[in-house]
Amino acid sequence: MKEKIEQLLETKKKIELGGGEKRIEKQHSQGKLTARERINLLLDEGSFVEIDAFVEHRCTNFGMEKTEAPADGVVTGYGTIDGRLVFVYAQDFTVLGGSLGEMHANKIVKVQQMALKMGAPIIGINDSGGARIQEGVDALSGYGKIFFNNTKASGVIPQISVILGPCAGGAVYSPALTDFIFMVDGVSRMFITGPQVIKTVTGEDVTQEELGGANTHNKISGVAHFMDNSEEECLNRIRKLLSYLPSNNLENPPAYQTEDDINRVEEKLNELVPVNPNKPYDMKEIIRLLADNNEFFEVQEHYAQNIITGYIRLNGKTVGVVANQPRVLAGCLDINASDKAARFIRTCDAFNIPLLSLVDVPGFLPGTDQEYGGIIRHGAKMLYAFSEATVPKVTLIVRKAYGGAYLAMCSKDLGADQVFAWPGAEIAVMGPEGAANIIFKKDIKNSDNPIETRQEKIKEYRDTVANPYIAAARGFVDDIIVPSTTRPRLISAFDMLQTKRETNPAKKHGNIPV
Amino acid sequence: MRKFIVSVNGKQYEVEVEEVTSSATSTVKTAPTITEAPKEEKLPPQPKAETKVEAAPKEEKKEVIAPQGAEVVTAPMPGTILNVNVNEGDTVKEGQILLILEAMKMENEVLAPRDGKVVNVAVTKGASVNTGDQLVIME
Repeated sequence: MKEKIEQLLETKKKIELGGGEKRIEKQHSQGKLTARERINLLLDEGSFVEIDAFVEHRCTNFGMEKTEAPADGVVTGYGTIDGRLVFVYAQDFTVLGGSLGEMHANKIVKVQQMALKMGAPIIGINDSGGARIQEGVDALSGYGKIFFNNTKASGVIPQISVILGPCAGGAVYSPALTDFIFMVDGVSRMFITGPQVIKTVTGEDVTQEELGGANTHNKISGVAHFMDNSEEECLNRIRKLLSYLPSNNLENPPAYQTEDDINRVEEKLNELVPVNPNKPYDMKEIIRLLADNNEFFEVQEHYAQNIITGYIRLNGKTVGVVANQPRVLAGCLDINASDKAARFIRTCDAFNIPLLSLVDVPGFLPGTDQEYGGIIRHGAKMLYAFSEATVPKVTLIVRKAYGGAYLAMCSKDLGADQVFAWPGAEIAVMGPEGAANIIFKKDIKNSDNPIETRQEKIKEYRDTVANPYIAAARGFVDDIIVPSTTRPRLISAFDMLQTKRETNPAKKHGNIPV
Repeated sequence: MRKFIVSVNGKQYEVEVEEVTSSATSTVKTAPTITEAPKEEKLPPQPKAETKVEAAPKEEKKEVIAPQGAEVVTAPMPGTILNVNVNEGDTVKEGQILLILEAMKMENEVLAPRDGKVVNVAVTKGASVNTGDQLVIME
């Protein structure tokens, strides 16, 4: 027996070395960690339990029968993060370049199904050259199964993808189907077709980094949600993200004890927003001042910065924040901002995370680019997402709230449970300048001094219409509050809403204008 | 023949260009055929890195071709320049206000994307700009 045990330990040791010391060294020399090092960094120390380490490929084409692939190029298993169960897989680039074959895919599918059954998050670490070409259609089938399971698990358990190496071709669609994508600057690469193919087809010259690096997908395409400078920071950020999320759609996000005073009155909030509605300011300051310990965990920080999305805690409980950023594009809603916000709202709704909207929006961004790009159908996603969301929804109108954009930021009519406004709020169909031109067109035209009359009329409009009192008189705003008291008021509102029950009509699924 | 979409001052032109063989020496030889061409300007397509084109002809008064490695700050949306806060030759820090662009009833601050030196300010106070117009070139 002793001999057999020794033999077992020997085999395990060999499998754990993956592609061997030389390849591990090569991986390290490229500034990358190995699959097992990554898992150990990600999970609580010593909590990782491996599954399917003995799996081998069954391919006999092109001399593959002689090729050994320990664990078939992917490490799978489970462990804990902050003591909570998670499932994990990490592609091992040192084994056949992390290429995906039939058994490699089967291993991933197995942990996907386990995660779904147990109702625990799954984290997939991608570092793969792509499909194992020798395995042909079996490899393709493998991808298909992974996509299918990604979709089935969507909205049931949090699915997180980490790109720590290449992820090209069809392989990108597994991350794309998941809830969050993490990338590391200089390490991650994601694209459907690589630079060589692009060169031959369109003649464009582009480097891998320019085409599909972390910067590209965080700033330009909006494919990714997070960007870090090192693998360690990235893996740490995943742990942080999970602290805001429940393990599945039937649970609430974990609540924590907070040392931050729930009745904290923040005098700074009374001064922060400039009285002149034409002056920008940083909405993130408001978010931080409201949050427990001033902590704000931003999602898609670098993309469509005219809207801010992310998580805070109020009284120790997760709240998803959607806020306009007056500093960028005047805080207008545009195509990218609508997509970003709609996706975030749906992620929150799927995982029982209450929503807080902070509104200072002058409208939708005008322009042919926007209209031709389909701002109508993109903007509609925001309306859809907010209307559909059944989690507690609280809206705070900080300053401007004009037209369709006011509605899109979760107005009372889209189902906001509580709407608050600061005294400087302007809620109207359009800004005073535009409205005065239309309503008082004749007065201005017939006046002896049109410029002066126009200014008078603008002032008249601003005084009579562009304030929160008319909306409050009709009940579209539940209360007008002193800015400094916002934190206690929000906490009280979310506490009150904790037992909210609302269900949408039974249906197969809605038809969001994707 | 290859097709390019060249955009000048926010306007797009479809340009057909014949590929020049490796014997090409200095500039792009073939004259571009421009469909839908504006009368006043015939800009060759943006030179690619390996063709040894030094600088495209400066027919546009505002459009200064940025040198290699320079950072071009462009207008994020259409609006009016309310104030220009920097001069050519100024050294600026990342996040410093370069100019104020009034758009959507907001005095939008256009910030320096990184530390550097202002080599060109393409707009003046009161100028109207479109999305993508060059505002400031930094190096």
